Amino acid sequence: MTDKHKKINKMLVIAFFSAMPILSAAAGETIAVVHAQAWTMTEASGGRIDDATIVVRDGRYESVAAKAPPPAGARVIDAAGRTVTPGLMSADTHLGLVEVSSLEETRDYGVNSGPLGAAFDVQYGLNRNSVLIPVVLADGLTRAVTSPAAASDAAFLGMGAVLRVQPGADLLDRAKAAMYASVGGFGAKQGGGSRSAQWQLLRNAFDEAKTYVPPKAGADAPRDQLQNVLNIGALRAMLEKHIPLAVRVSRESDIRQALQLADDYGLSLIVIGGAEAWRCADLLAARKVAVVLDPEADLPWTFDELGARADNAAILARAGVMIAFSVSGNTVYLSHNAGVAVREGAGLAVANGLAYADAMKALTVNPARIFGIADHYGSMARGSDADLVLWNGDPLEPSSAADAVFVRGVQASPITRQTLLRDRYAPKHAKDPWPPAYRP
Amino acid sequence: MKLAVLLLAFALTASAAQAGAHDEQGRPHAAHERGAAEVAPPWKRDPFPSTYQPLPRQDALIVDATVLDGGGHRFEHANLLLRDGRIVALSTQAITAPAGATTIDAKGRWVTPGIIDVHSHDGDFSAPFTSLDAQNSDVSEGSDPVTPNVWAEHSIAVQDPSFERALAGGVTTLQILPGSSNLVGGRSVVLKNVPATTVQAMKFPNAPYGVKLACGENPKYNYGEKGKFPTSRMGNVAGVRAAFLEAAEYRTKWLDYISGHGKRPDDDLKKDTLAAVLGGDIRVHWHCYRADDMATLFDVAKEAGFHIDAFHHAVEAYKIPQLFVANRTCAVVWSDWWGYKMEALDGIRENAAFVDAAGACVTLHSDSPWLGQRLRLEAGKALAAGRRAGLAVGPERAIEWVTLNSAKVLGLDAKIGSLEPGKNADVVIWSGDPFSVYTRADQVFIDGALVYDRSNPARRPRSDFEVGQPSMTGGAK
Repeated sequence: MTDKHKKINKMLVIAFFSAMPILSAAAGETIAVVHAQAWTMTEASGGRIDDATIVVRDGRYESVAAKAPPPAGARVIDAAGRTVTPGLMSADTHLGLVEVSSLEETRDYGVNSGPLGAAFDVQYGLNRNSVLIPVVLADGLTRAVTSPAAASDAAFLGMGAVLRVQPGADLLDRAKAAMYASVGGFGAKQGGGSRSAQWQLLRNAFDEAKTYVPPKAGADAPRDQLQNVLNIGALRAMLEKHIPLAVRVSRESDIRQALQLADDYGLSLIVIGGAEAWRCADLLAARKVAVVLDPEADLPWTFDELGARADNAAILARAGVMIAFSVSGNTVYLSHNAGVAVREGAGLAVANGLAYADAMKALTVNPARIFGIADHYGSMARGSDADLVLWNGDPLEPSSAADAVFVRGVQASPITRQTLLRDRYAPKHAKDPWPPAYRP
Repeated sequence: MKLAVLLLAFALTASAAQAGAHDEQGRPHAAHERGAAEVAPPWKRDPFPSTYQPLPRQDALIVDATVLDGGGHRFEHANLLLRDGRIVALSTQAITAPAGATTIDAKGRWVTPGIIDVHSHDGDFSAPFTSLDAQNSDVSEGSDPVTPNVWAEHSIAVQDPSFERALAGGVTTLQILPGSSNLVGGRSVVLKNVPATTVQAMKFPNAPYGVKLACGENPKYNYGEKGKFPTSRMGNVAGVRAAFLEAAEYRTKWLDYISGHGKRPDDDLKKDTLAAVLGGDIRVHWHCYRADDMATLFDVAKEAGFHIDAFHHAVEAYKIPQLFVANRTCAVVWSDWWGYKMEALDGIRENAAFVDAAGACVTLHSDSPWLGQRLRLEAGKALAAGRRAGLAVGPERAIEWVTLNSAKVLGLDAKIGSLEPGKNADVVIWSGDPFSVYTRADQVFIDGALVYDRSNPARRPRSDFEVGQPSMTGGAK
């Protein structure tokens, strides 16, 4: 991006946000958070700096240094020893694509008919005014992967995106962040009844993408292939490693199949779920394949997850596997409570042996790297987007809360639909003769 | 096929007759219970009696703990004596260990009553979830919207690994409910969370039965989709009122017959359960979310003449706390679930704290084998939300939301739910503050038996299902 573009963008951003009453600061503001226990997540600082001064200018991190004086003219926020982290990230949600889970007209995270398989791309359906967005943001979540969950195609679910969690703003941070596929016992139905067929269909899709020759103009080329022209483009992007393949798999044997598939076709691979990933931790580490896991998934809930264990995260991290989190919580947490749930999940992973610093990485820099946004999010490195959360306690305790949340240097409003309902029905109104509908 | 059914029917009759003739201690039942002279209505029978026996006990003196007693108190450096399966003493003064008692140093650790989950489907919606369950789950009888004749205990798979996971989360008592597909879903059962090979061996002796009812989206969706009654909320209410009218008539006929009037009514398994509700013998657990729905059902209960013990889920309880107070009904809620369905859209995190502040009974429940491992965190999250909203509420109160109040919901607060001397020795020793995510249950006692010990693999039960499975075998490769 050129400087001119940057300037225009900045002006647009300022114009946009100054019109938004729910955001209380302009992007151009210089902010200094002093006396912070700062989780910088940068390698240079060793991850954490105590009594830090964090300087944010023009929506980006400028510096983090112990005991440094705040720059002149900065808005100074005294953290008074409280923990400050980058904004957190959930590595799998349907944020922006769902409002009320049971209502199909508010669900946009999957297609179940039509020609779109691998070509299905969630980026066009994002709802910037979703009431979920302020809720998860108030819990400290400033980035999220939003992913497809169903498809008409037996092989692929389509492409997910990375979101900036900014109410009312353009949510899209990075489109086509990963291609999703799902293989397992319950999914096998779509492949014809066997997971073997599912793997074959995936392989066939890549074979077809490799050899696909577009028909000459005006000619009716004979076609004997399963992947249509829409899907071929997306498949090619994976073969060229522009898009990683994110496979939802749980069983060890399927994880190994995914690794073999990636080998055979030269794909970048991400394992999603990975209940039994701990059983091949060293292999995943050696192949530098990341795992997005749910630290709460400790039950043999299906035959694919018989090896589920509470210390999956700990074993994988010890082996050197890059991990990130997403917490399903009976699918209730996945999007609607994505903020508090990933913190709680990370805390549970620590309770089950994961090093605290590794849990912090799994909430910030790791998902940033896995989904391709580490150049501008994930740490307090100079120039990174100033997504920042000031916590009232340990962020991995679900009973802790964010005292202040910034996205790209802009302080988020703590007001959500839930806090408005809370205030309407607060016990202090018990004797008010007027119905709650007369309150804000 | 026919023969097999007949043989099965015979086997059930024979064993029921055998089991029914004697009580837990082997004493023969009173004459009326054998049916020699009918002086009690059929809903007073106990055809599936508990065979629970406490596991081998070890008297224990737990010393120097931070104690949340479940009765609203917090004690530092407190000592707790468990003897013969009961709480004997709780004191900040020294207690002398009786001969043979083990002394457990709990310095730096916390002690609470055993956690009680009043809304679990462990065993009747069990792991592993299979394609058979996807087709026809054991959690709901899907053939009819009014099935008070089905009993959750007849669906329970005792080898569900969820029980052991819950135990590791400090859960000592669970109520297992039928699902919410039906207006009247059937009877619940209260279990001690002890590993067993039969459900009878887990049944909490003499615990009152409950009945599961459901309002709102689930029944009308489940049957409306099939083009059957009910297809609407008003249909839901009509269906429940009709069921109670029939039960009232049945109840009157039986009571008349017992007092010497009229001929003997036919036994009716459906009407039995609801007739028992009308007499206050079976407790009412109503799945319901919206404030307006719950307010309607308070009136339905008044009309039919029964008491609603608890609304479960009660996502909008905070909108009508005064009705919970007036009706002496508990709100059984989550800390933060919302938005997954229309009637859960208005969920707020202060729900529990607001209802509690209004003076009504509130408890946290799981409805989930994952959440069921972390009810203490649920209480902690609800507590934190309440404090952020400015309420003066503390841990000694929040622990009641998963112990004493839960026991009240089940009608068992004379036996469990707090560390009051005389109550059952259901106790958890936590590695630290039970509301912290890092804390683990170190030791769990049920009726004075150490049924779970985190530091001793021989005292960490695993279900048959997990034997030889990949969770227990192999290592990281």
